[in-house]
Amino acid sequence: MNAFLEALLIATVIITVLMTVTAWALWFERKFAARMQSRLGPTMVGKSGLLQPVADLLKLLQKEDILTTHADGLLFNLAPVLAAGAAIGAAAVVPFAPNIVGANLDLGVLFLLAIGAVTVLPVFAAGWGSNNKFALLGGMRAIAQSISYEVPLLLAALVPVILAGSMNLGEIVEYQSKHGWFFAWPFFLGIPAFVLFLLAMLAEANRIPFDIPEAESELVAGVTTEYTGMKFALFYMAEYVHTLVASAVAAALFLGGWDGPFAPGLHWMVAKTLALFVGVYWVRWTLLRFRSDQLMRIAWYFLVPTGVALVAGTAVWVVWRS
Amino acid sequence: MSEKHTLDDTGNYEHPLYKTLLNTPGLSVGVASLDDLLAWGLTNSLWVFPMATSCCGIELMATAASRVDIDRMGTIVRGTPRQADVMVVAGTITVKMAPRVKLLWDQMPEPKWCIAMGSCAISGDFYRNLYSVVPGIDTFLPVDVYVPGCPPNPEALMHGLLRLQEKIQRQRKGEKVVPDVNPDLIHVTKPSVPRLCDAARTKEMDAAQLLSATNATTDETSEPLAVEFTGALPKQELLAADFEGVLKELGVEASATDGPPLVPAARHVELAQRLKALGYRQYVSVIATHWVAKTGRKGKDEAEPEHFEVVTLLRTVGAKSRVASWSVRLAPGESIPSLAKVFAGADWQEREQWDLVGVPFANHPDLRRLMMPENYTLHPLRRDLAADLPLAPWR
Repeated sequence: MNAFLEALLIATVIITVLMTVTAWALWFERKFAARMQSRLGPTMVGKSGLLQPVADLLKLLQKEDILTTHADGLLFNLAPVLAAGAAIGAAAVVPFAPNIVGANLDLGVLFLLAIGAVTVLPVFAAGWGSNNKFALLGGMRAIAQSISYEVPLLLAALVPVILAGSMNLGEIVEYQSKHGWFFAWPFFLGIPAFVLFLLAMLAEANRIPFDIPEAESELVAGVTTEYTGMKFALFYMAEYVHTLVASAVAAALFLGGWDGPFAPGLHWMVAKTLALFVGVYWVRWTLLRFRSDQLMRIAWYFLVPTGVALVAGTAVWVVWRS
Repeated sequence: MSEKHTLDDTGNYEHPLYKTLLNTPGLSVGVASLDDLLAWGLTNSLWVFPMATSCCGIELMATAASRVDIDRMGTIVRGTPRQADVMVVAGTITVKMAPRVKLLWDQMPEPKWCIAMGSCAISGDFYRNLYSVVPGIDTFLPVDVYVPGCPPNPEALMHGLLRLQEKIQRQRKGEKVVPDVNPDLIHVTKPSVPRLCDAARTKEMDAAQLLSATNATTDETSEPLAVEFTGALPKQELLAADFEGVLKELGVEASATDGPPLVPAARHVELAQRLKALGYRQYVSVIATHWVAKTGRKGKDEAEPEHFEVVTLLRTVGAKSRVASWSVRLAPGESIPSLAKVFAGADWQEREQWDLVGVPFANHPDLRRLMMPENYTLHPLRRDLAADLPLAPWR
């Protein structure tokens, strides 16, 4: 088959599946949060509230589209599209199975980190374009947070890269299926790097306990304060897609990706991704939000030195072993 | 705000997309079922904006919590009006609050609904005839569902939301169910200085506001204290005799009867400065009362003219703290010098007393309305204020 057509097909499938999974991930999160707070969550719309995302979407489609008088129309309207685009773009290099990958880049990890850094731009564009003090404060916090957590994320991602000797995500997974998952061996490098990656990932995706850019108790709704209807939905969706993709990347980098016994690779990848995704929810509905200064302190006093030590340790380990 | 939204024949909000679909040939067949689908979406995803001002707000929170759980019907609480569909007004709305509620309501995107939760929001209840309370939010908001109760229990609010769902479905079928707003009541309370968003707001007003803000923070205009406070005083100096001693120095007689000593208004600031230097560093409160003229009862008490009585209360900070209080009497037309230059905490307290009781404070840096609306002209706690005065334009 034509290579271009094949890529297009895979891209369509991946985007469709991602968006669908995201919609029902919203339902799942509401059910999950409800159970954690001894509630029931959505039950009335469809069986077990399964049609809740559909109803929400239909509702948001019908809402009035408000652009405030003093808002920057271009930035304001571009931001949600960019946010969703960047979040989905990151999925391009994630290998879901040996032959299911949007773009098999040799610099896959670098691409991922670059896209991850781009996701903060629409957030700030939204904060600036809204001409709303709460949105602007949220945008500023997002910038500070992203710059801080980009460093530990990069350092944590470097550990499997050095161990496998490749920046191609597919090759990293293949290396793990031959030599064991990095989470298991060398566990003294793999487990701390995995935890570091998860923490930095949570911060990148603005999830609790790192969700100070939207901190609803102090900033109304953060950067999305002025957004109505589908524009808000795009932002909301981007956040979930980002978390989902980041979970998939963590699964590929540390948990052996598609590698696993008995079942086909795709099943394992999906299972690992969703397990991590649920873990993220679990953290979200258990912990409280950090303060802005605490967040910076954690990043620069704790996570970055740990990351540097881990990378140095990995380099030593690789040289010593060879 | 965008003017793109359209109204259908019954005056209800209609999305422009809907009109396009209706006019597309071949699609009109499916529009009926599409309409049902859209209505189903609207009714099953009512996001709430909590306009919770008092005890009803607690019940609103309980409605979202585990026993009743409005999330079952897809209702979640959003903190921003831009993403909400239903404004639940839970609590008493005061005359000062009403324009803010109206502003938040205007910020919500169409289609939107309003639930008046609790008797205060519905009618003002027993605060109805109070000088500061709006007699029911339907004087300025189009209320869709009234949930009675004081406060209504969570089940009642849930029932109200279910009624709202029914109402929305009837609305989509073309019945006119939205109550009209009385146009005379929408723009009643305007601040005396136009807000930033108002068309009448000018650059000069911005500059003036900025200037007053900078002046309030500089100490250039404040008078130097007669006695400077130098560090913590030894404990034995804080004796009960201190206060009496200062009073004696100032030539004030301790009152023979119960109650704080009567100090002439001219000595008010000086006394406060001396006491501050003695260690009475906390300005606790100022309590003013307005007395109407009294004829006096034979053999029991004497006739008294109309006057204000202003009692100031100071205390020392730390263990075994001591309290000093004195009162100042003001005949009508007299004013009392402000203590805002001596105690920063006096600023707002004196503002409040002026706002509610009408005590004139001289040399106050910022004597504006604090509790009452910006354009209010009366002082509601004056004894001569009749309850049936035409107080607010809401009634």
